[in-house]
Amino acid sequence: MLDLLNYLINRKSATSNDLFADLNSTCITQPKINKACTDNSCKTCVDLCPSSAISIDSLDENKKDIYINLGQCISCNLCIENCNDEVLVPNFSTKTAVRNINDLNISSSANQENLPFRGVKSNKDLTLFKKSLAIRVVSTGCTACDLEVAACFNPIFDAERFGLSFVASPRMADALLVTGPCGLGMHEAIKNTYEAMPGPKLVIACGTCAISGGLHKDGYYKTNGLSEILPVDVFIPGCPPHPWSIIYGLMLAMNYELVE
Amino acid sequence: MTINHVNIQIENLGNELKKLLKQPNKRLGLLTSIDGSQLITLVLNTDSHSVDVINSDLLDKNSYSSLSASIPQAHWFERTLYEMFGVFPKHHPRLKSVIFNDSNNLILPPLANKTIIRDVNQVDTSFINIEAENVYIVPVGPVHAGIIEPGHFRITCVGETIINLEIRLGFLHRGVEKQMTKIPYAKTSYLASSIASDTSIANSLANAIAIEQLLNIDVSERTLYLRTLALELERLSMHINDLSGMCTDIAYSALAMELARLRGIVFNMADNLTGSRYFRYFIGPGGVRKDCDKNLIVIKKLLKELKNKLFKILFHILNNFSFTQRLDNIGKLSRSLANDFNMVGVVARASGIQYDTRSIFNQGIYPQGIFKIAKENNGDVLGRTKVRIVEIFNSFEILENVLDNIKSGDAKVDLNHKLSPNSFGVGIVESFRGELIHLIVTDNSGFIKRYSIKDPSFNNWTGLAIACRNNLLSDFPICNKSFGLSYSGHDL
Repeated sequence: MLDLLNYLINRKSATSNDLFADLNSTCITQPKINKACTDNSCKTCVDLCPSSAISIDSLDENKKDIYINLGQCISCNLCIENCNDEVLVPNFSTKTAVRNINDLNISSSANQENLPFRGVKSNKDLTLFKKSLAIRVVSTGCTACDLEVAACFNPIFDAERFGLSFVASPRMADALLVTGPCGLGMHEAIKNTYEAMPGPKLVIACGTCAISGGLHKDGYYKTNGLSEILPVDVFIPGCPPHPWSIIYGLMLAMNYELVE
Repeated sequence: MTINHVNIQIENLGNELKKLLKQPNKRLGLLTSIDGSQLITLVLNTDSHSVDVINSDLLDKNSYSSLSASIPQAHWFERTLYEMFGVFPKHHPRLKSVIFNDSNNLILPPLANKTIIRDVNQVDTSFINIEAENVYIVPVGPVHAGIIEPGHFRITCVGETIINLEIRLGFLHRGVEKQMTKIPYAKTSYLASSIASDTSIANSLANAIAIEQLLNIDVSERTLYLRTLALELERLSMHINDLSGMCTDIAYSALAMELARLRGIVFNMADNLTGSRYFRYFIGPGGVRKDCDKNLIVIKKLLKELKNKLFKILFHILNNFSFTQRLDNIGKLSRSLANDFNMVGVVARASGIQYDTRSIFNQGIYPQGIFKIAKENNGDVLGRTKVRIVEIFNSFEILENVLDNIKSGDAKVDLNHKLSPNSFGVGIVESFRGELIHLIVTDNSGFIKRYSIKDPSFNNWTGLAIACRNNLLSDFPICNKSFGLSYSGHDL
């Protein structure tokens, strides 16, 4: 027992001070578009994509436009691995959350960089939750996102230092964070949780399934994401998103000002 | 693995199956249907490493005489059959809903080949209601206080003692089995990975084994080593997670946090091996997606680091009197009940059933002598915790062996052909929860006609309901945690 106490006391702090660090280069990630694609005959990425997130529009003989819906991308890395031209490259950034769902559609013609806090369009007074945000999590999916949300509060990421906290009851919550594709079985539970929350309140869709349904899209059990049930304020793409991406998304919901 | 096809007429199925399952080396793997006009029974032969697929055509219009009264293992399967196919089991003891609980959501059977209107009155969506003095009911969920999956528990108590626990699942239903038949077989492994992400490797491995059977291909030896590596790392990761949760539930926070932290090392290994913290999309039919020798050296180093730190804590847990006394004699599941209801995995082994599919069905490299089956006889929470700890020790031995002996070579086979038509592919994998089965049936032209998945939780949820009886209400979280069951794997 004393041995163990000694061991525990002598452990150094595990908390990471490298905020929103980029992912390891070994990670599989969502793609970003590096440059315009010149090979008009190549359709590898479209054919390979398991969740039909990529589409191609031929502009002229040797130019085409690639559209990627990051809200549907399951970060399997297939398109990146099989792209001969380095048109699609991995996006190691963890600052990927957005407020407007249209910002998740990227294309090679409009080369959008993932800039922080873009597309602020909300009717709600965003300064309200500037100092703290109490979050109620409802899980409707495969638990990867839940485990990552839980990981945000472990000693390494320690999200409580940013004023984020999880609450056990919707009555105490400012924000509802939903993971998973929201099948018919959970519609009522999600609506009831939302209604039980005191206003003003925010809704956050965490993970690809919650944004669009991902691989489960257009199933018979209405698994098309959270947007069909509730108005969503922040979208966090990724399958599952890294804890830093989730913390970034939550801070985006708070309108927290980060010093870069 | 050899698949034997047997035809048994539906009116004899009950008797034949009962006779078959009386033998010690036979287990009921799966009871399902392809399109609602037949019953498919999968019987696992644990001595001859083979599988019997019993086909029984339904002569009567979408109904047959229920098997559950004589074969208790079948009760949950039959309930699901009625919901997914509209196949009605006559005289079922209690045809309670499993997935479609809300009478508003009672949709047409999604997997049947013809339009069948289910009689809503036949399905019991109610709860057992016990009305007596001093009896009260505690409803919990589906939205729980923590960050966990949704499920509804209705706990009936007298004083502090639980007299009945009723579990309602189905909130996470997404229609995975149907979706699997709509996509090309090469893409099914991605969906298999996201059935339940804590069993991501086991699910994609079962998918790969079944598909490889249908393609008639063998994978390279290196692939087998890499798959074993991933499967055991997943087991390590989730067993540490379950132990950490157990520590949280008995208010031993210091250890819970330390174990959660050590799990971070496994995540690191996973990241190095697969590029994803949850082993996603690593295994596919024909091989593995990523292969890098440099990363194996890093994994070896991390494994050593983890071993040094983790073993100290595990020995502490085993020798800590207040820890073991807290868990002793709680949530008991007797061996005979575990047998009757077909318990699998950690739960079965804690109740004295020596069953581990890793020693029976091919799923990687498990050399004789190194692989041992952990077993306890008490069937209580402590037993299940001890089985987990012993399995962690075993996993370390297997992992070290794999890393020492891994063969060089290619870890991918090209897949260009079609699946063999009108065939069955069966993938059986020991996930960290237990026996996981994927059954794939192809049609005339080699497309997937039916994809059936049986998660270990499917068997074990009944065990939880039994084990909680006559325990204190305050012990329910510990019982629940010791079973460590999946909601998303069950609901599909």
